[in-house]
Amino acid sequence: MAGSDRRQFLLLALGVAVGGGAGVLARRAGIETSAPGRPRPPGAGAQGDFLAACIRCGQCVEACPWSTLHLTGLGDGVGAGTPTFDARRVPCWLCEGYDAPLCIEACPTHALRPLADLREARMGTAVLDEATCLAFLGTVCRACWHACPYPNEAIVFDEMLRPVVVPEVCIGCGLCEHACPTEGASAIVIRPHEAS
Amino acid sequence: MKKRPALWTTAHRLVALGFLTLLVLASTGAIGWLSGSTSATRLFGLVPFVDPLAALEAALAAREVTPTMLVGAGLLVFLALLLGPVFCGWLCPLGLALDLNHGLRTWVLRRLRPRRAERPARTPIPVGVRILLLGVVAGAAFAARLPLFQVVSPINLLVRSLLFAAGLGLVLPLALLVLEWIWPRAWCRSLCPLGALYALLGRWAPFRVRIDPVEAGRLPCRRCTIRCPMGIRVMEDWTLAGRRSVDDEACTRCGTCLDACPRGVLSLGVRDLPLPEDEAEP
Repeated sequence: MAGSDRRQFLLLALGVAVGGGAGVLARRAGIETSAPGRPRPPGAGAQGDFLAACIRCGQCVEACPWSTLHLTGLGDGVGAGTPTFDARRVPCWLCEGYDAPLCIEACPTHALRPLADLREARMGTAVLDEATCLAFLGTVCRACWHACPYPNEAIVFDEMLRPVVVPEVCIGCGLCEHACPTEGASAIVIRPHEAS
Repeated sequence: MKKRPALWTTAHRLVALGFLTLLVLASTGAIGWLSGSTSATRLFGLVPFVDPLAALEAALAAREVTPTMLVGAGLLVFLALLLGPVFCGWLCPLGLALDLNHGLRTWVLRRLRPRRAERPARTPIPVGVRILLLGVVAGAAFAARLPLFQVVSPINLLVRSLLFAAGLGLVLPLALLVLEWIWPRAWCRSLCPLGALYALLGRWAPFRVRIDPVEAGRLPCRRCTIRCPMGIRVMEDWTLAGRRSVDDEACTRCGTCLDACPRGVLSLGVRDLPLPEDEAEP
């Protein structure tokens, strides 16, 4: 069997060389940025690191008590099978009442990294559309501010009492997008962080 | 011909079906003591299992190993060292789909093309290709910093479609089901990198298909070779060669050959230690 052992080892080594070469080329061609950026569960960190560590097992999806998360389909390219969420439908409720977000605890590979403080959760950033926001249209509305876990920090008011997002503080949970009373699409939506 | 009950075939199908059913129930939240998919599973919220290839890819891509990966993959590696690639024969959901499809193929061929039904499973793709692909998967994970096999693995695509309804994913598994009719187990035997990893780990596994040296060789009927879904020539290469166990790396211990054998030559169990004279043989 010694000859067969050596053949198998050579095949394996050849495979590593071929895969490594192809991987370098693919990276140069920008494969890691070919997955569209998406709002991520808390703890996902930079897109590149997240896509590298996530094994697409779906345990975060099962762990989420509010069924916020779902896995993306093949249309997501190299990101296929990773978790994301549509905050308009179900936002991230930040596992209030639990010690830590359950998705992070479920993740076997630290693709979702344990957080010392929920404020480090960078799921995305809320972006406000002044053209459809009721407050900018003249109504008194502060639904997003009421929903925000960090009112007066992540969402503040300007001198006309209109909401303004502070992107440095916003963690992208989407509670504002969920709460916005605008018909149809929300006037405030979570934009994903850019692909690395 | 009297029909004998296919005990092992029924057993490995029921086990795989039960495993998949539990995963589906867990994904709907109906049972709480199990979570996850074939890539990573957790029992009682405590004991982790992580697909060793998924763990390897994530470790290479992210340059980080977590305790869960180490324990979870370690448990499965340990089982493979003892039992061989039993995941392939007893748990893999894609393996189950291919096995059922193979059964259907045999049933249809027996009625339409009886002579072809008596021909062993043959795939023109060499077995070594899956070892090459295992290397490719590992190399690409490290260089591209992406666990690419976890993205496109037909096993994962099938499981994700069933558990998480993650769209479009069934195309590749369905294509493999069609391929099964032409080249049986072309995927499992010759292409699957996970199968290649389990086969490498299982090389020295003591749990094997054993051959009764007394019964072997009496009126060889070749049913084991004809029925082996992995295309192992059980009779020609192992039984008649005087071996005491089927040491082919592709063997998943599924037991189909045990069901096929009319004389009880084959059994599943701990292999006999090689005799001193076996060692001395060239």
